Amino acid sequence: MVAWKDIRMEVRGREQITSMFFFALLVLFVFNFTLVLDSRTTELLMPGLIWVAFCFTGLIGLGRSFQSERDNQCIEALLMAPVGKGAIYLGKLLGNFLFMLAVEIVLFPLFVLFFNLDVSGRILQLAGVFVLGTLGLAALGTLFSAMTMQSRAREVMFPILLLPLAIPVLIGAVQATGGILAHEPWSEFAHWVQLLAVFNLIFVVLGYWGFELILEE
Amino acid sequence: VFTRLDPLQRLLGLLAVGLLSLGLYLSLVQAPPDYYQGEIARIMNIHVPFAKVSLLAYLVAFLCSVAYLWKRSRAADYLAHASVSVGIVFVLATIAAGAIWGKPTWNTWWTWDARLVSFAILGLIMAGYLMLRAYLEDPEKRARYAAVLAIIGFVDLPIIHLSVRWWRTLHQPASLSPQGLSIAPEMMVALSVMLAGMVVLFVYLTIVTARGLYLRDELEASRIQRICEARL
Repeated sequence: MVAWKDIRMEVRGREQITSMFFFALLVLFVFNFTLVLDSRTTELLMPGLIWVAFCFTGLIGLGRSFQSERDNQCIEALLMAPVGKGAIYLGKLLGNFLFMLAVEIVLFPLFVLFFNLDVSGRILQLAGVFVLGTLGLAALGTLFSAMTMQSRAREVMFPILLLPLAIPVLIGAVQATGGILAHEPWSEFAHWVQLLAVFNLIFVVLGYWGFELILEE
Repeated sequence: VFTRLDPLQRLLGLLAVGLLSLGLYLSLVQAPPDYYQGEIARIMNIHVPFAKVSLLAYLVAFLCSVAYLWKRSRAADYLAHASVSVGIVFVLATIAAGAIWGKPTWNTWWTWDARLVSFAILGLIMAGYLMLRAYLEDPEKRARYAAVLAIIGFVDLPIIHLSVRWWRTLHQPASLSPQGLSIAPEMMVALSVMLAGMVVLFVYLTIVTARGLYLRDELEASRIQRICEARL
């Protein structure tokens, strides 16, 4: 329900997705100007670049995910609603996850187009890794977004808390993406995908638990 | 709790100085030079204790955070905060001593090896913890959020270490391992004394810092009270 509210609000206002998408597009252009990308280095760097773009875009979206609640004092209303705080967390998580995924769905074809990536026959595997990596980032991000919501210097604090703790997700996602883009057999990078799944489980549980303590009034 | 600690605190301070002086004498004079690395390996006797105490500091912060969320005692919060403040100094000292050791043995100050990266991330988590505290105004909320962050960081650290280790590693295996000693007994004695000294030093510094934080808050509260009374 909370996710549905966020999605409806987003469809009407389109603030978060638009800003995330244009930011991502700019990141993509900056990569093109700042890095010398011939076909060989592209192959080596691409998994990292894709995830840097996804992760930074996620930072923009996630960092703002509680802003509307705070500005309109909606968080109090949400807390009064007859649902558990855990349900609010899961709703927020789902909303953030879907926003990030929506941006990735538009952004990734641009990567393929601009950098001539060969993804034939690997789309489903890539989609799976993107879903897992994004879920991990969103799980931690939603919690820290709530945590920094009331602090000063919110925009700075959010990435400072999120990035160090999200490193396992980034490593797993980059390794798995690299394996797919290099057309390695599944067994070469399957352990990274499994690891990502386990990380996600841990982070969602941690987020669920932490969120209840954060919103205690 | 913090007001009756004066004699104990002084005792701990003296004990730390004593143990560390003895440890330094043992490490620099008594213990033989390392068979492979020569005199350079003596730096191990500060590097390893720094590293162990950094981990101990985070463990203490974790336990105090759990205690805070459970009992909601301000003392636990002060101790957690103090432990991280002191711990981050030990993390930096570990990395500095490691860099000085790494230059002659690995021919580089820094490398993106699993243990080094995990340790740097530990430092970043501690820095994030301290910054979060600095940026939150409400003391109760600050304590609660910081405790949640400390616990999440504690659960996450082994995961980070595991994922980074699978990614790459170069560090020599730990000198103190359950399978047995890989160093000479004299070196072991020197190392143990240094380790004990560092632990006592950490306890001493943490108590001093926690008392400082407590007194600062008390002072602040009494000042606000005085201003309010003057207004009336």
